[in-house]
Amino acid sequence: MSNRWSKYVLPLLQPFAAVLIGLIAGSIAIWIAGGSIPETYSEMWKGAFGSFYFFTNTLARATPIILIGLGAAFAFRAGFFNLGAEGQMIFGALTAALVGLYMPGPGWLVCVAALLAGITAGGLWSALAGWFDARFGVNLLITTLLMNYTAALFAGYIVAYPLKDRTGSAALAQSQMLDNSVWLSKLFKGMPVHTGFILAVIAAIVIYIFFKRTVAGYEMRMLGGNPLFAVYGGVRRGAMMLSAMFVSGGLAGLAGAAEVLGTQYRYIDGALSTANYAWTGIMAALLAGAHPVGTAVAAIFLAALQTGGMGVERNTEVPLEIGSVIQAVLILFISAKFTYTYLKRRKEKNADGTAA
Amino acid sequence: MLLEMEKITKQYGDLTANRSIDFNLRAGEVHAIVGENGAGKTTLMRILYGMEQPTSGTIRVKGQDAAFTSPADAIRCGIGMVHQHFMLFPSFTAAENIVAGREPGSLMRFDRKKAAAEVEELCHKYGMKIDPWAIVGGSPLGVQQRVEILKVLHQGAEIIILDEPTGVLTPLEVKELLEAVKSLAKQGKSFILISHKLNEVMDTADRITVLRDGVVTGTVNSGETDVEQLSRLMVGRELIQIERKPSMPGVEVLEVEGLTIRGHKGKPLLDQVSLNVRAGEIVGIAGISGNGQSELLQAISGLIKQDAGRIALVGAEVSAESARGIREKGLAHIPEDRYVWGADKSATVQETGLMGHHRRLQRFGFIRQKAASSLVADFVRKFSIKTGTLETRTQYLSGGNLQKLIVARELAQGTPFLIAAEPTRGVDVGAMETIHSELLAKRDAGAGILLVSSELTEILKLSDRILVMFEGRIVGEMAAEEATEEKLSLLMAGGKQQ
Repeated sequence: MSNRWSKYVLPLLQPFAAVLIGLIAGSIAIWIAGGSIPETYSEMWKGAFGSFYFFTNTLARATPIILIGLGAAFAFRAGFFNLGAEGQMIFGALTAALVGLYMPGPGWLVCVAALLAGITAGGLWSALAGWFDARFGVNLLITTLLMNYTAALFAGYIVAYPLKDRTGSAALAQSQMLDNSVWLSKLFKGMPVHTGFILAVIAAIVIYIFFKRTVAGYEMRMLGGNPLFAVYGGVRRGAMMLSAMFVSGGLAGLAGAAEVLGTQYRYIDGALSTANYAWTGIMAALLAGAHPVGTAVAAIFLAALQTGGMGVERNTEVPLEIGSVIQAVLILFISAKFTYTYLKRRKEKNADGTAA
Repeated sequence: MLLEMEKITKQYGDLTANRSIDFNLRAGEVHAIVGENGAGKTTLMRILYGMEQPTSGTIRVKGQDAAFTSPADAIRCGIGMVHQHFMLFPSFTAAENIVAGREPGSLMRFDRKKAAAEVEELCHKYGMKIDPWAIVGGSPLGVQQRVEILKVLHQGAEIIILDEPTGVLTPLEVKELLEAVKSLAKQGKSFILISHKLNEVMDTADRITVLRDGVVTGTVNSGETDVEQLSRLMVGRELIQIERKPSMPGVEVLEVEGLTIRGHKGKPLLDQVSLNVRAGEIVGIAGISGNGQSELLQAISGLIKQDAGRIALVGAEVSAESARGIREKGLAHIPEDRYVWGADKSATVQETGLMGHHRRLQRFGFIRQKAASSLVADFVRKFSIKTGTLETRTQYLSGGNLQKLIVARELAQGTPFLIAAEPTRGVDVGAMETIHSELLAKRDAGAGILLVSSELTEILKLSDRILVMFEGRIVGEMAAEEATEEKLSLLMAGGKQQ
């Protein structure tokens, strides 16, 4: 009995404690900003879940965060650090926009093709970093992180020069708007949440089953747990790394594609970076200890902090950043644990004296 | 009586680790505690060293009641402990480690010269040689252990607890350690020696206390007992003498030719090693660890690449194969280090036990859950592995139980060739018996086994043919019948075969 209890409850203790401390820190910030704590939190709740519109708005915002979080969690589980979600998402979004704009054919087919193209673009961009690691031994943390800039600047150039939308206000660097036949349909008429959310939920469940039940999922988890043990047992590290990185980046690419096809309907330079989807997604994965379903829940929670923060700004004197304060405290507490385990792994790896 | 522990009981929830244990120690005595894994030896010592509080019972040191709430209390009463895993700062010198916590010098200045002088004096007094200026991390394990003992002596310990002190040492280092213990005892220090190895205990200890399932099953004078009686007290039954049928070697299952691995410092780790293993025989490799055995086994199993030479498994060339490919060709491997290669500590017992079988137990890429859990449940039953459930994390298994799980897993791969590296490291007498008879059964069923062990008794007991490795080369080969411990020791130390 107590064993079951500890199995399910203990892993939740740390994230809940982090959330609680985050809310307390938020209270202090609200108090300093001169707002009323209960009023601010109640506005925050309303902004996130207060009406059906706000609720679906939160889900819409959560969609890319869930997908990116799942991608990060996928790589973490296999023992790799993919910090390149932003670049992979940008390439996914750009490719989806280009396919959506220039591919002939019926709208639904173009939409599916655009989603697949987004997955492929994000996946390949991520697998390239994996290949650099496997072939040249360049640290994944560094390549994935730096390749974000390459992707963002390249995509910015594409929509600022060759494929710039010259029909509307000429000041913005963005692509033309997609025809509405290729849009991802909304789940409820007039509500922000679109079919991409369903895709994200399905992805969470599929990944959960993948890790729990399949041979490849087992091999990846063992690789993440102890790479030497996995290789000893006949797991092909190189192939597993490339596939894990492809899936991880592919999910980020899907996030970008879904954002373009379901919400923005065009590629706008900087729109994905300023919304901070990528880092929020990585945080969701960390918050949930890379558990796929937990990552989805954490992503919705983090999205709610952001949409709630907007509600706070609309209706009180307290600034929008209150959500960021809570989020920042969360990062602090989660990264403390995460850095600790990462360093421990590094240390053990060094102690073996052998690289996998 | 220097130390008396009376009616010590320790309960963890439902589990009674120690039940009303009486134990005492005279000045200048070596008193050994033996028992199987989980018999309660370590718990008792943790209580004595103040790391655990007993549920009931009393401890008296020199007739005074003592209640230790931390190791610091125990140290103050003159009790020191040398742990199984050394607790040293690897990047510090021997002298710095020994005086740590009681450094000579003023508050702001650490007087290294004085520390070294203190250590030299200590070495001289107790007749243990070390270089006070040597960096501990780069020293052999035997030296590190001497540093640990000197550290305890420097703390002023009268009672020294040695927890499984010989597990990691070479035969020569073991001999030196036991000599040192005896000589320190002559100078009035008292030792509590926790060990698995009955021969060492018989040689060194004055009295021996045997624990089984948390109870004392006997305290005997070493002069009045023998290994058989001790085993009976430990296991609670007679040990069966394993019967070895003569081997009937068949076709070659492993052929290694001219295997060479260059090291970083010009000296090859493996130098032109050639050997073969036939079906139905056990080939033992004797040697002091660090003479190329690890590299040989890793190269055969595809975990590192050789610079030259070829390897063939069951007739097929595997020199360029991946670890996966070699396993598929017919290799199973009990690795020398169970935590580095043999398990994922954060995975469940079932997941650790499934490795290598998972590709077989699948349907459309999905693991067949029922087949997988019944497989691992079989391992647990057959080798009586003590685990909560199959979902327990591997890290909570004791070392001996994890070893049994790995041995069970690899034997069950059903391959024609098996590497068994230190197959019984850290397991108790009963489990050792099981593992040995399973290895022989595997041989009799027609598999070829390459056995690497730093325990000469194990090599002599199981092997049909014995090779000796020294500095990356095979320096001797002999049939089991002509091998003796003396002959092998000589070759292992670099001597010439007569």
